[in-house]
Amino acid sequence: MKKTWWILMLAVVLGLGFYGVATADTLDDIVKNGELRIVCQTQGTPFSFIDKNGKRTGYAVEVANLMGKEMGVKVTFLDYDWDGLLPALLSKKGDVLAADMTPTLARALKVSFTQPYYYTGSIIFTKKGSKFKTIGDCNKENVNVAVLLGSTGEADAKRVLPKAQQKAYKGGGPLLINAVIAGHADIGVNDDTAVVGQMAEFPPGSIEILPGQLSKLPLAFAVRSDDARLVQWINLFFDWIQNDGRQEQLLKYWVTTLDWKKDH
Amino acid sequence: MLEYFNFRVIFESYPLFMKGFLSTGWISLISLFLSLVVGTLACAGRLSKSRFFSTPAAVYIETIRSTPLLAQIYFFYFGLPSLGLRVPELQTGILALTLNSGAYMAEILRAGMQSVSTGQIEAGTSSGLNYFQRLRFIILPQAIGVTIPPLLGQAIVLVKDSALLSLISVMELTRAGQVLTSERFMPAEGFFTVAVLYLILYFMLKFLSIWWQKRLIFRQAV
Repeated sequence: MKKTWWILMLAVVLGLGFYGVATADTLDDIVKNGELRIVCQTQGTPFSFIDKNGKRTGYAVEVANLMGKEMGVKVTFLDYDWDGLLPALLSKKGDVLAADMTPTLARALKVSFTQPYYYTGSIIFTKKGSKFKTIGDCNKENVNVAVLLGSTGEADAKRVLPKAQQKAYKGGGPLLINAVIAGHADIGVNDDTAVVGQMAEFPPGSIEILPGQLSKLPLAFAVRSDDARLVQWINLFFDWIQNDGRQEQLLKYWVTTLDWKKDH
Repeated sequence: MLEYFNFRVIFESYPLFMKGFLSTGWISLISLFLSLVVGTLACAGRLSKSRFFSTPAAVYIETIRSTPLLAQIYFFYFGLPSLGLRVPELQTGILALTLNSGAYMAEILRAGMQSVSTGQIEAGTSSGLNYFQRLRFIILPQAIGVTIPPLLGQAIVLVKDSALLSLISVMELTRAGQVLTSERFMPAEGFFTVAVLYLILYFMLKFLSIWWQKRLIFRQAV
């Protein structure tokens, strides 16, 4: 009986010891396992998409690859629809969410966002030659607005075009452009950077963007709320690539111009 | 973990879930009825002696059964407008569901009809009954009892397939769960409630089919 007691105590102590090790944080786990798992969009040009060579690339993907190089680990990408990104991060499918996501206050209740790496804004786009020329034209009863489920575009459309009918699609930005071209929606609302990048994949001149920004939106990466060290590391990483010009170069190639079109 | 399960949000979102539940119910009901009509016609065509009817029916059934429903929905919603024919979401969804289930119903009905033993048909022919009389007095009464369980199975599949309509922005039950996920970041609460409501729909269909079966089964021929 005494021997059993000591073995039991030993097991409890060892078990508690392992429990202590198990609460090492995500950054340590990434370095220990040698793998950085990134949650990104399936088709979100120009941030994360499959290029014409069948490879996954984009601004967020290239920045994540740089992050992996600086950490000394390999990078794995798991892709989801737009509204599946946050659930994937929260359910630990990945450790960092790398996309053109805006740190809204509602989202910040659930995850921690890094500092912004770029500022964009919501714009309205429509089929070329349609009768919608200004934002005022669009705020009418029988206008159909295509938005992405769970995006800032959805919130902006509700705020700026309260009279119009909303159609929220689940998927990615190109779905909205498809809907507008097919005529299922008269206009679409999405980020400037996303629409410009995705327009390039459709026949030129099929879509035109209305003048005027509906909102100013910062873009950032995200991690789970209790990964404080990881978010600090990523912020430091953003500082480094801002100061040595790599971020400026990447933004110019992927986001502010269509230079990426030449190779991808 | 269950202490984080937020029942309050589920009660607050009750109107959203009810809207989705009723929408799924209506869409499934209409599609079910229409697909029975389409299925009966396709089955009749398939069993017809003349190739003028049997070939198009066979082509329809085989094409639908060999392609995924999601591909069919996307084809009708995004593909047809580029060919000049634009149909709004709800109608596109009902069309896709009807055509899809119609093909499967046609095969179920065909199996039911062919399950009536040929002895019965021969007895009917030798008794002087013509095709329609045989159909009405001998084949259909025996076939219907056999086909009700598989038809119920297909009806349940139809209700679950209607979830795919959420991808073309139709407001239905699965979309209600998606809205809760994307606006309040609560996939567990959202989809658990959605699953319970689908279960309720399943039991409603099941009781309907049991009642229908009791009414329609005639005495089996010895």
